[in-house]
Amino acid sequence: MNGTTVPTDDDLRARVRAVLTDRLGDAFASVPSDAELQQALGDRYDSLTAMECISAVEEEFGIEVDFVADDVRYWFATVDRMTRFTRDRLEDAAALGERS
Amino acid sequence: MTTATTAPRAPEGGVATGEPDLWCTYAAVRTLSWLGRGPSMAEPDLTAGYLTGRRNADGGYAWSRGMLSDAWATFYCTQALRDMGHPVPRTEGTAEWLRHTWSGDAYAMLPGQAPDVWATHFSARTAVEVCHVPPPDTGRLLSWLGALQCADGGLSWTPDDARRGRADVRACYYGVAAWHAVAAAGTAGDPPWDVAALTAWLRDRQDPGAGFRFSADADVPCMWATYRAAGALRALGAAPRDPGGVRDWVLGLRGPSGAFVRWEGYDVEDVWASFCAVGTLRALGLPTEPVADAVTDRIAALRCPRGGYTYREPQAAAEALGTAAAVLTAAPGEPTDGLVRWLEGCQLPNEGGVMYMPGRGSEVRCTLWALAAGAFREDAAARARVAGWLASLQNPDGGFGYWEGRGSDLVSTAAAVEIAALTGAAGGIDAARAVAFIGSCRAADGTPGACGNVPGAPPSLRAGLQAQRALLVLGGQTDAQARAAVDALLARHRVRGGGFANEGDRMPDLLSAYEAVLAADRVGLPVDTGHLHAFLDRVHGPSGTRWTPLAPGSGGPLADCLGTLLARRLDDAGAVLPALALS
Repeated sequence: MNGTTVPTDDDLRARVRAVLTDRLGDAFASVPSDAELQQALGDRYDSLTAMECISAVEEEFGIEVDFVADDVRYWFATVDRMTRFTRDRLEDAAALGERS
Repeated sequence: MTTATTAPRAPEGGVATGEPDLWCTYAAVRTLSWLGRGPSMAEPDLTAGYLTGRRNADGGYAWSRGMLSDAWATFYCTQALRDMGHPVPRTEGTAEWLRHTWSGDAYAMLPGQAPDVWATHFSARTAVEVCHVPPPDTGRLLSWLGALQCADGGLSWTPDDARRGRADVRACYYGVAAWHAVAAAGTAGDPPWDVAALTAWLRDRQDPGAGFRFSADADVPCMWATYRAAGALRALGAAPRDPGGVRDWVLGLRGPSGAFVRWEGYDVEDVWASFCAVGTLRALGLPTEPVADAVTDRIAALRCPRGGYTYREPQAAAEALGTAAAVLTAAPGEPTDGLVRWLEGCQLPNEGGVMYMPGRGSEVRCTLWALAAGAFREDAAARARVAGWLASLQNPDGGFGYWEGRGSDLVSTAAAVEIAALTGAAGGIDAARAVAFIGSCRAADGTPGACGNVPGAPPSLRAGLQAQRALLVLGGQTDAQARAAVDALLARHRVRGGGFANEGDRMPDLLSAYEAVLAADRVGLPVDTGHLHAFLDRVHGPSGTRWTPLAPGSGGPLADCLGTLLARRLDDAGAVLPALALS
């Protein structure tokens, strides 16, 4: 991927799901992308696990999350929101001509 | 028999959350199991969920969700699940976590901490009874356990404490039970003590009234000491000198419901009293059926609506931290005298500190919160009791642990130093040895100000700042040295968007933000209020204050307290933050 091409939402979603599957295991496979992870997974998606997932998403897409400026509880509650958050960041980076 | 220090009644009032407590839950579940009344438990799945929810990803369990795993919580959670017939999840992970707490000789409460008999008992039993693995080196474990014996025959908390002659009935029980568990698993032989001397010491703790005391210096005989003595004697194949007297003493300490109270003069039939009473009857080989209905009914009344148990009726089960928090955040003019009196009522016989819940052991952090809330401000005698208790708590390595016999850590040591300052008893602790313990927590790489919570632990912001605060009070360094160290720590852990992170500089948290401002104020560094407001705004919501931006909902009354005090300080440079700490 380069700084001028942002993957499609479907591609982003698939990559987000792959990243989360690595961290959350098989229990995550049946969780819909619009489902609240904390409700669907209970204790398996506590704040420590959420932080691990955020770090993994950052690494996968080369973006940086600000735990204060960004409303992480909202944006990292579902796969769909993570996908939108990631897409917005990649688009910002592309607009700035930076490599993402 | 009562003494002047015995509260005539249990304290009434205080702030009750209606939430379950882990030790209470374990005591309730085990007592029902002993009585064969486990099936009577209402909604056991809720209680099982409460217990399994404390499991961390590292395989250990924590006192409450989100906290570090420790041996105490791991034992209570796994044993209670086992008693309930509920599967203990992924015990191989728990066994792995236990291995990280092995010192080479015995078990510590946390990885890296010095071992003590509390932790060694908990983890030896978790290993063999739950994980079905032996301790890493049974020979060395037995040698360590053997070194707990004092010259007078009793057992102490650590080998160093044994050399100081500080025997305690609880240490005897935990040492004997650890050996017994390992022996029952077939990996240990005879007890590693002079059993005749140990048995005699335990029997000598029986009071003329037939109950037992923790030690010769204890104020009053109590149910807790009586159970631990009877249990240790039973495991050694012995019995109290006057078992009939013990039976009568236990059966005499019953309240209106027929369940038990802790000691003469106390009036709450708490869960631990029934746990200890039933345990004593079992240790004496006596039938428990005559008390089973009353105890079962009483325990049912202590169940919390969302699972788990507390020590008395949930609506009346106040605790010290929440009550102190309510006092500290009360609006100007709001009456708090009743709450402060309740906190003072948590100073009970046998230990001079404040108990988290009345009837359990005194605890350093609860004592600090209570004092910060104004407890004993007008009572010099009570402050002197606190100071005496605190002095007795100092470990041979110079540090302090959460409660008597616990290994040292920085958060407890810093809290103890603050208690000494608040009670005017700084001279009662050995400052040079306390400074030496703090020095042992410094990071090995020499990074300025960096400390871990225990020697060898990874450095963290809060441990570093707590060390600096304590050193300042103890005279262990100059103001300029402390200022430079705090400045370096804050720069290293400052989160760009707002607040401070305990590890690294990514995830800010409330405890670290509070500690950062507290330490900065102590050393005279300016506080960037805009930067901290950004963090507070992120964690503050309509339902309360969260511990981190990622944490769900409210962090409860303690988070609300720290958030409120911090916000007041940011809005008023003259406000002084009390030196509150939790971890």
